[in-house]
Amino acid sequence: MGQIELQNVTKSFGPVEVIKDISLDIKEGEFVVFVGPSGCGKSTLLRMISGLEAMSGGSVSIANRDVSHAQPSDRQIAMVFQSYALFPHISVRDNVAFGLKIAGLPKTQIDAKVAKASEILGLEKLLDRKPRELSGGQQQRVAIGRAIVREPAVFLFDEPLSNLDAALRVQMRIELIKLHASLDATMIYVTHDQVEAMTMADRIVVLCDGRVEQFDTPVALYDRPQNTFVAGFIGSPKMNFVKAGPGSNGDVVLAGKVSKTLPGVNADNMTAEMTLGIRPEHISYSHDTGDWEGIVTVEEQLGSDAFLYVDVPQIGAITVRAVGERGFGRGDKIFLSFDPSRCHLFADDDQRIN
Amino acid sequence: MPKSNLIGAYVAAMLVMLVFTLPILWMFMGAFKTPVDIYSIPPVWWPDFSYLENFKLLLSENWQFLLNSVIITLGATVLCMVFALPCAFGLVNFQFRGNNFVADWILSTRMMPPIAAAVPLFMVFNGLGMLDSHFALILVYAGFNLPFAVWVAMSFFRNLPKEMIEAARIEGCTWFQTFWKVALPLTKSGIATVSTFVFIFAWNELLLALFLTSNEAKTFPVVISTFSTITRTYWELVSAATVIQVLPPIIFTLIMQRHIVSGLTMGAVKNG
Repeated sequence: MGQIELQNVTKSFGPVEVIKDISLDIKEGEFVVFVGPSGCGKSTLLRMISGLEAMSGGSVSIANRDVSHAQPSDRQIAMVFQSYALFPHISVRDNVAFGLKIAGLPKTQIDAKVAKASEILGLEKLLDRKPRELSGGQQQRVAIGRAIVREPAVFLFDEPLSNLDAALRVQMRIELIKLHASLDATMIYVTHDQVEAMTMADRIVVLCDGRVEQFDTPVALYDRPQNTFVAGFIGSPKMNFVKAGPGSNGDVVLAGKVSKTLPGVNADNMTAEMTLGIRPEHISYSHDTGDWEGIVTVEEQLGSDAFLYVDVPQIGAITVRAVGERGFGRGDKIFLSFDPSRCHLFADDDQRIN
Repeated sequence: MPKSNLIGAYVAAMLVMLVFTLPILWMFMGAFKTPVDIYSIPPVWWPDFSYLENFKLLLSENWQFLLNSVIITLGATVLCMVFALPCAFGLVNFQFRGNNFVADWILSTRMMPPIAAAVPLFMVFNGLGMLDSHFALILVYAGFNLPFAVWVAMSFFRNLPKEMIEAARIEGCTWFQTFWKVALPLTKSGIATVSTFVFIFAWNELLLALFLTSNEAKTFPVVISTFSTITRTYWELVSAATVIQVLPPIIFTLIMQRHIVSGLTMGAVKNG
């Protein structure tokens, strides 16, 4: 139980198509994160899995059962909302027990399950309070408690941490990872925060404009983004993009000046206009030698890293991540080189070549 | 604001208040006056408040009509809410073709003055043999208040956070359970407000009661109107009856006032 299958799912609001033919296969016990910019359809997709939003086409099956037309209550799911959506008129205990009471479980069983869930989430002392008497983090815990007591096949999270402050968010993130490990349940998590996506997910669905751009493990998304959108979306600071063209012998030429041989790239798979991507952390820099000469325009010093924004006349603005670097300041001359084995090459249709 | 201006504002406020409360005060005084006191010149400014003959006479002869008013008003209020609340909840939460049209259409029925329906209603109830019955008036009062009640109820159901309804649905509630266990408890204050309005309308209604009742189901406002006869108006009885008439709405509003406060949904969702 717990696997989810989406087949050719579409959704239109009037003439606007917000979800365009999405098919996904989510395995049992997997932690899958939907990530993408605002308005990419990630929440809509989650709501269609939950049954709160009707689909315009396609089918959803949960635990090998077609639930395309089933009510949310018949889908064996639990959902945690961004706003928590606790019931303010009843106590924390009743909030957690709400679904069990609706299901008509005997009181002894309800009490046992509520006790177990509140122990996992550390809610024991809060059970008799009303939701408004709790802090944001505690309210979120109650919302998660309400979800886990029912032991659903699938958990759905709709940006559950975005209302929390930064420190609490990190803490809750770790707790959710632990919770997933201990419950071993399928979880789908929607966020626009790529750090959450990278740290929590077994696999990530990157969405853009109602389409799945890539569905893969966090490391694969980082190492081998399939197109320029994923390449630019995953990673912070953003990947650098430089215009590239085909050279002789299957080489890639940048700005008509530097030509490199990239692994997996040859004359056959290149197109006339290409984009070369290189992550800020994969650029080597030096005070005196390198392929490109530029000027540091901004230095963002984080202590552990320095982000250097370098203006290179031939290829434009390049961001460099310099670990522990203290030696460059604004206005300094800097030389950069790209390691060919860490470069990503994209064709004129934005799809990956190498 | 300078002090002199403040005093001026108070004086102005007192004057305005006097304009509005003087008739009520005069009516209240009149309820304790003898028929002679009522017409005496110069007027009796301060009646003897131990004189309760007006009330005794009134209640001994008309208590059953007061009871009619209570039954009909409570019946109409309850009936109206029983229909209005689920209707409003459905119109807000169910997306179906034409739900806006239905909502507008319900409101448009409010545009008809109730008296325009008096003659048709008389004929309908006459045909059904329901003239001068409690149920007929309950039905009419509930019906005339439905559009207003539905619209006000829609506005407070709309203010409920959508996630709250969705959370209930996910937790396994049927639509009815969502309505009953989540939506209603969270909109108590709104319900109190609407039912207060319906109560006051039904309690004070005169014209339709005059048309549709004669004796069995006659309501108290109709009784008051009978004290004005061709030969004389029994002002002392009108006053006493009016005092009785205004009491229930005041009491009802005071009871409901506790609920007519917003902020019940505070803490439900994080603001901002």
